[in-house]
Amino acid sequence: MSSITLTSSDGVDISVERTTAERSVLIKNMLEDLGDSGEAIPIPNVNEAVLKKVIECDDDDNRRKTTDIDEWDQKFMQVDQEMLFEIILAANYLDIKALLDVGCKTVANMIKGKSPEEIRKTFNIQNDFTPEEEDQIRRENEWAEDR
Amino acid sequence: MSPRETNATSTRRRTSLSFRSRPRTVGHAAPMSKELALDTWEEPYLMEICQDHHAPVVEEIDPFPNAAPRRRGAKSFSSLRHPVDGLVALGRRLSVSLRSKPSRQTIPVTEDIKLVDDNEDGCDHHISRHANHKRMASGSWDARSTKTHWHQGYSVNRRPSLNSVSALHSFYAPTASIPAPIPGRGQAPPVLPNHMSAGAAARAAAAAQNEQMEAARMDKVELENKMLDQKVPQDSESGICIDLRDRSDVSDTDLLTMMRLDPVALLPAEITAHIFSYLDPDSLMDAELVSSAWFRASSSYVWRHVFRNAYGRRPASETASKLKLSSGLGKSIPNQDWKKKFLVRRALDQRWAEGKAAAIYLQGHQDSVYCSQFDENKIITGSRDRTVRVWDAHYPWSCQKIIGPPAARTFRRGPVNNPTAQATGKAPFMTITPPLPTPDEVTEITAPLEEESIYHSASILCLQFDEEIMVTGSSDFTCIVYDIKDDYRPIHRLSGHHAGVLDVCFDDRYIVSCSKDTTICVWDRNTGELLRRLNGHEGPVNAVQLRGDLIVSASGDGVAKMWNVISGQCVKEFTSKDRGLACVEFSDDGRTILTGGNDRIIYQFDANTGELVNELHGHSGLIRSLHLDSANKRIISGSYDMSVKVFDRDTGEQSINFPGWTTSWMLSVQSDYRRIVATSQDSRAVIMDFGYGLDGIDLLEE
Repeated sequence: MSSITLTSSDGVDISVERTTAERSVLIKNMLEDLGDSGEAIPIPNVNEAVLKKVIECDDDDNRRKTTDIDEWDQKFMQVDQEMLFEIILAANYLDIKALLDVGCKTVANMIKGKSPEEIRKTFNIQNDFTPEEEDQIRRENEWAEDR
Repeated sequence: MSPRETNATSTRRRTSLSFRSRPRTVGHAAPMSKELALDTWEEPYLMEICQDHHAPVVEEIDPFPNAAPRRRGAKSFSSLRHPVDGLVALGRRLSVSLRSKPSRQTIPVTEDIKLVDDNEDGCDHHISRHANHKRMASGSWDARSTKTHWHQGYSVNRRPSLNSVSALHSFYAPTASIPAPIPGRGQAPPVLPNHMSAGAAARAAAAAQNEQMEAARMDKVELENKMLDQKVPQDSESGICIDLRDRSDVSDTDLLTMMRLDPVALLPAEITAHIFSYLDPDSLMDAELVSSAWFRASSSYVWRHVFRNAYGRRPASETASKLKLSSGLGKSIPNQDWKKKFLVRRALDQRWAEGKAAAIYLQGHQDSVYCSQFDENKIITGSRDRTVRVWDAHYPWSCQKIIGPPAARTFRRGPVNNPTAQATGKAPFMTITPPLPTPDEVTEITAPLEEESIYHSASILCLQFDEEIMVTGSSDFTCIVYDIKDDYRPIHRLSGHHAGVLDVCFDDRYIVSCSKDTTICVWDRNTGELLRRLNGHEGPVNAVQLRGDLIVSASGDGVAKMWNVISGQCVKEFTSKDRGLACVEFSDDGRTILTGGNDRIIYQFDANTGELVNELHGHSGLIRSLHLDSANKRIISGSYDMSVKVFDRDTGEQSINFPGWTTSWMLSVQSDYRRIVATSQDSRAVIMDFGYGLDGIDLLEE
């Protein structure tokens, strides 16, 4: 099993199995373009912490290929919001669809079933609607012919 | 684990102990000596330890100095000015004490929540709830302590600065060979055995995330105070907060744990859209109200996904075995207002819930209308008057085609309803009777006459069509196959039955017909060749359905049979309790069989086991026709009691009753997303249109 080296945005070299790295379509394409030169591949948009996390998740996925993804999802999701969003960005940049999907589902689950005010509190968002605007959207959303 | 950390932990513990060295009751002495024995008394003890960190503060304001020792902790906390913080801090400390800080990710947010919740419930409740929680916690510790290697061996990845996220990611939990689930502890994920059902873990994780947020929400104000006062060490009014700040190795993690970021502001639009597209419609509408940025992020692209998730997607290739029914998902055209579509669909479903429909009467047949089928554009009916008529399914619902012998090609106005017959149920909110065509129009719409031999010479009893062909069955013992694309040109006649053809169905391979002669015939769809005849019923076979290789038939002898279409063997029987069966419905997924008949009961069978799953009651006459709309979970029934009823597929509850919308027996019913088409012995067909006049209903048309 050959391994390759990735260089994170903060300059840290991380060694990773090639098969793991190739889960990223971006890296896979790079490897195909560059050939197996043995040189470190720069990942300029992802810092060490996030990169390690992404690799860890993939390793884990690899190890338990046959078991249900939910368990893995769950473990992956146990991070704070900033890390979660960084992982989503990294998955998007590195083009790892499964990871992107899981990350987005996690955020969606944090939104689901909450009132607008609860969502604002969850993500520390200021309500910038005027009462009139808010009322208009509310009325639109409540539209039903018999009301 | 770094030496520094170990020291910190043990130092803290010693600190606690030193506080405890002046215990208020003797009850605390024993636990201290067993510091990490971690059985059930351990946690209250540790609570006390934590509390004792703030002993000076706590004691100043403790209103229950003489309370029982184990209760005192809770009571005193609940009396604090910032009880939530106190409990949060306590939970954190608990974790540190208990777990020797296996990793940064094990800060017990979950425990915080428990404590916070309990605190709101009052003191006594708090104690008992906490006792339960305590047992759970110690259980989880026990299970994990047998696997100490996983956290000890794992780098804790100490973070150099408060704002870096790098240290937050490196938790690890064992996942292999876990025989039983281990509850989550703090931010560490619950560990579930691999055989646990899919989805449970995801739900748990989402719940944990949400609870984490809930905790963050509940002490939001305190948190903001903390952030502001972070460097103020002695805030006399919120001592617990200050105490929290002092534990830098805990609190910096907590700050980040509590850090809340706006994903819409932070993430690119396509990712936000990706996230939003996982929401259900109601959640998406709540999300739209969060802020103007969130409102903008809820694009039509998002609504398209959400709409499709809620109502399904039209199958890319529909097999010919399915009736060509519209699902009400709209057309496949770009630039649609998907949110409007959702709102219209919701309003339509509301009308179904209320039983609010208009009645549109199709008049023209001269005798009983035995059968019908419709799609988004047309309704085709067959009658005892020996004609088949094709009607426009939209305004003005005109008759577009008459197929049948010349003598039958006239129009007759149908009867007028007696309103009292509708008194017991829902009457139409509007009644529409389109005008009869003029003689010129009648000439225009009648089929050409050159192939006279190919008309039915008796009643049309049954019909089915798809995009290519229509097959009718008649009392003249034959079926006729028409080319629907070539203006209903007759292709060939299927002769083989020795009595009237009572029902017919087909898929892309076979045409199956059943007859009063007690047999079922299987024909080649393309050649019209009789492939085999299924014998077994002891009475007339009134209804037949075909799904894949299985045929289900219902007979006047009271038995429904399942047959293999290839072998011709009867593989299963479903019997009614009492009398003959008139109709049968075989679900698209092949799992459910519905039968109805003279029992006045709709029987619901499991197609695989043959087990009777449910009986739907409500009709007071023979059930003549059934339709199962799986997508909308509706069972529609038409009866000789002159009513059409709608039942919930899952509960079996009757949801709609339309009695007396025509003046005689209901002979056939079928429904789609917006309407029921029923035909009656009184020579009329009636469209029960739930979408009539609904603004934007055209958006749902396919």
